[in-house]
Parts: sequence; structure tokens; C-alpha cells
Amino acid sequence: MTISEKSDLRKGSSDNIAVEIQNLNKHFDDVKAVNDLSFKINKGEIFGLLGPNGAGKTTTIKMMIGLLKPTSGEIYVGGYNVRKDLNKIKELIGVCPQHAAIYKFLSGRENIELYGNLHAVDKKVLKERTNELLEAVDFTKQSKRKAKKYSGGMLRQINMLMALIGDPDILFLDEPTVGMDARVRRKTWEFIGSLKEKGKTVVLTTHYIEEAEALSDHVAIIDFGELIDLGTPKGLMEKHNVEDLEKVFLKITGRRITEGL
Amino acid sequence: MNLQRTMALLKLELKKMIRDPTFLFSLILLPVILTLAFGLAMSGTSTTSNPDISIFEFMVPGIYGFTSVYIVMTVAMAFTDYRKEGLLDRMNTTPTTFGEFIGSHIITNVLISLLQVAIITVLALIFGFQIRSAGFFLAFVFIGFLSISSVGFGLISATFAKSSGAAVGVSMIFFMPQMLFGTWIPMSDATQVVAMFFPIYYSTNSIQMIFSGVPLTEITIWINLVVLAIYSIAIVIVGTLIFKRFGKA
Repeated sequence: MTISEKSDLRKGSSDNIAVEIQNLNKHFDDVKAVNDLSFKINKGEIFGLLGPNGAGKTTTIKMMIGLLKPTSGEIYVGGYNVRKDLNKIKELIGVCPQHAAIYKFLSGRENIELYGNLHAVDKKVLKERTNELLEAVDFTKQSKRKAKKYSGGMLRQINMLMALIGDPDILFLDEPTVGMDARVRRKTWEFIGSLKEKGKTVVLTTHYIEEAEALSDHVAIIDFGELIDLGTPKGLMEKHNVEDLEKVFLKITGRRITEGL
Repeated sequence: MNLQRTMALLKLELKKMIRDPTFLFSLILLPVILTLAFGLAMSGTSTTSNPDISIFEFMVPGIYGFTSVYIVMTVAMAFTDYRKEGLLDRMNTTPTTFGEFIGSHIITNVLISLLQVAIITVLALIFGFQIRSAGFFLAFVFIGFLSISSVGFGLISATFAKSSGAAVGVSMIFFMPQMLFGTWIPMSDATQVVAMFFPIYYSTNSIQMIFSGVPLTEITIWINLVVLAIYSIAIVIVGTLIFKRFGKA
């Protein structure tokens, strides 16, 4: 795909909204995994989906990227309807799944380049962009080793870079820092923060309070598949008159986000 | 079909074959071992029907077929592993089409099969195997189509198997009958009828005819090729549709 064709696709989004969800429901038999969820995500913002394990965050993301069909409701990504225009959406997005989906017999660099080729990135650009991404997370040295020799944290770093190699407009990061040590997690936060400066829209699921507070412009707090509150981290804390998002969650549900982890 | 994507997927699968010891053994070492074992054991004994041809020479088309239908297992294992590790889901979020993905697997496995035929042939020459006609090269065409059917059966197996261990078991449904009815085991008239339900029969039967010196004007060879081609393409289409519908998640 040429740059001009890609620009045309971006015209699918007519206003400042990158993602819009309308009355979204997902039922697995009699379990309501997502229940009447509605929200909008602005272009160029980092949007956090915060909630405990099993809250429905991953199910919501999977519906946004077309891996799960909603029971009802509509999703628009980049102005395109997920049900009707999924192929166009795939040109606009990068996805970092919760579990590192990486070919273990390839090196980190080969995994990134493979996904660049799947996004039809020009060969010369691909090499430059791969080097830039690896340098940005201090991974250049280890990038030629086979992925099967990587630690869990290293796999997650490559997992994220694979999502970025196609230079997506909208990035879906599902629990991107799980399994990373504190130093790498901080580094990754800086990196995710820098994506915003490049105009990317980032949809981030997390159950780390600190992560949601540090990175998100807006946070949707989800529990049992329902949206329980939405706002800026600061706005939510002020609204509920507490010092952090954990206490916001505690105040609304009577439970802690980290319970059961 | 995007060429850059298809080539990238093709390279990926070839790297997997080379770097994964399981696949390297199944696809390269197994044919070597089989050819050496049968060559040592059978190359000195002539067939009863033609004293110029050793039993080993008669078995060579069966060895080609055996290694090609073994692909059923490797494809079934690969797809169940990819699914379990979330690689299929991830691939599904890129602009890659299912056709490009399956197409790359078909091309890879056809190439591997042709390489296997070449390896088996070269080793067989050491044990007295003779190339008696220019029609020998048709063996590559028959085995190419047979490997396509194996990819199809592999996809069907992967649809129903939930793990790579189960994939081996499920793929036996397609592997065992083909091994019994289409390799080197002599068949009665009754078993020959059963064998006609499996693609390997058309491959082994025709290659044996060609290797025995039957002229290429023999219509059975060409009928077998057409049947095998239609059968293989139909199976890979059915396998792709079933896997796409029921096996991806």
C-alpha cells in the first residue's frame, strides 16, 4: 500500500474520534463478559482500560480488533465499522496481545521484520524502523538472539515492538508490562508516553494502578464487563475525593483492583 | 495476494523447518533413514514380476508417498501450536489474508516434498535404483499434488485437535490408511478398491508404472494425475474452509 492510499484510509475517521464503542455487549452463554459498554477515545490520546482480572478488558479489546464478534452493539475504529470494514481497520492498527505471541525459533529482530513485511512496509524503511525501535528500548544487542532464549520481560518488549513496526495510527496494548521488572517497566512507560508525542492513539489495558495513572489521558474503569466510571485520572480522584485510582475503584465497588492477583 | 507478505510467510515456514529439530527430523532425516534402511535390506532381491527391478526400486515410489503424507502430521502440529501460542490470532490482526497464509504453507510443503523426492532419489541411486525414462520427472508432479492434499488433511486435523499432541492422533486418521494402502505394502484386489479413496494411491500407482518402464502413452498414468490433482485441490479447499470456520480460535 502506498502512503497516499493509506492517507485515504485515514479519511475514514471524520472527526477527532479514533475509537467509538456504542452499547457493546458480549455474552458467553449466560455469562455477560461485556455489558452495555459505551465510550469514545480521542485521536492522539492514551486511553486506559483499568479493571481487575476478568473484568472484560481483553474481551473488549478483542472485539475492537475484530478477533471476537460482539453479541450486540457497534464499534468504530478510525471511523470504520469493525463488522463491515475490518480489512481497512487492519491497515490502521497495531496489536500487542496480552500473551507474547512470538515465533520462538526466530530472533527478536526477525519477529519484528516479519510483522513489518506483513504490514507491507517498504524494505528500506523496515530496516531503519526496526533499528530505531530496538534502540528506543535498548534491545539492539539482544535482538539477534533466538526468542526462545529471552526472558519473559524481553519477550514482552519484542511483543510490543512487533505491534509498532507497521507505524499504526491506533495501537492496542493489552497488559503490555506484565512480567517486566520494575526498571524495564519504567522504560516501557517512557516509551509508550513517547508514542503520544508522535500522534499515536494508544488503547491500553492494565490492572496496574500506577501504569494507568502515569500514562493515561483518560481512564475507563471496568468491572464485571460494565463501565463503572470514566474520566481523567486526576478528575476521577477529585470526583471521589481520594488519592489514587485504586481508592476510586474501592470506593465504587467495595473491592480492590488487585484482589485475587 | 501481496507478494511481500507471501514471501515473508514462506521464509518464516522454511526457517521453522530448518531451525526446529522436530521438523528437520520428520521432513529431512526420516526420508534419508527410510531410504537407507530399505535400500540396505531390499536392493538385492528382484521382484517376481520383473527380474530387472529390485524390490527396493519397486518401493521407492512408496517412500516418496510416505514422506509426503507425513506432512499431514507436521501441518496439523504446526497449526495447533500456532493457534495455542496466539500466533494465528495475532496474524489475524494484520492485513494478511487467510489465502496468503495458507498459500505460503502450501508452497513451503510442496517445496519440501520435492526436496524429499530429490534426496530419496539420489540415495536410491546408490542402491541400484535406475532412472529408466524421462517420465521420471513426473514423479515430482505427482508428489507435488500429493503434498497439497496432505496440507488439506493437516488443516482438517488441526481443526479438531486442541493441542499438538492431539493433532498427531487426529492426523493418524488420514496418515495410517494412506501408509497402509499406498506405500510399499502389497495389496489384494479388495484393498486396492479401498486404496482408491486415498490420494496416495494415484501417486504411487502411477510412479510405479513409470519406473517399471510403462510408456507415457499409457492413459492410466494421466487419468491418475488428473484424479490426484482434482482430489488434492478439493481437499485443500475443504481443509482451508473448515479450519477458517471452526479451527482458528
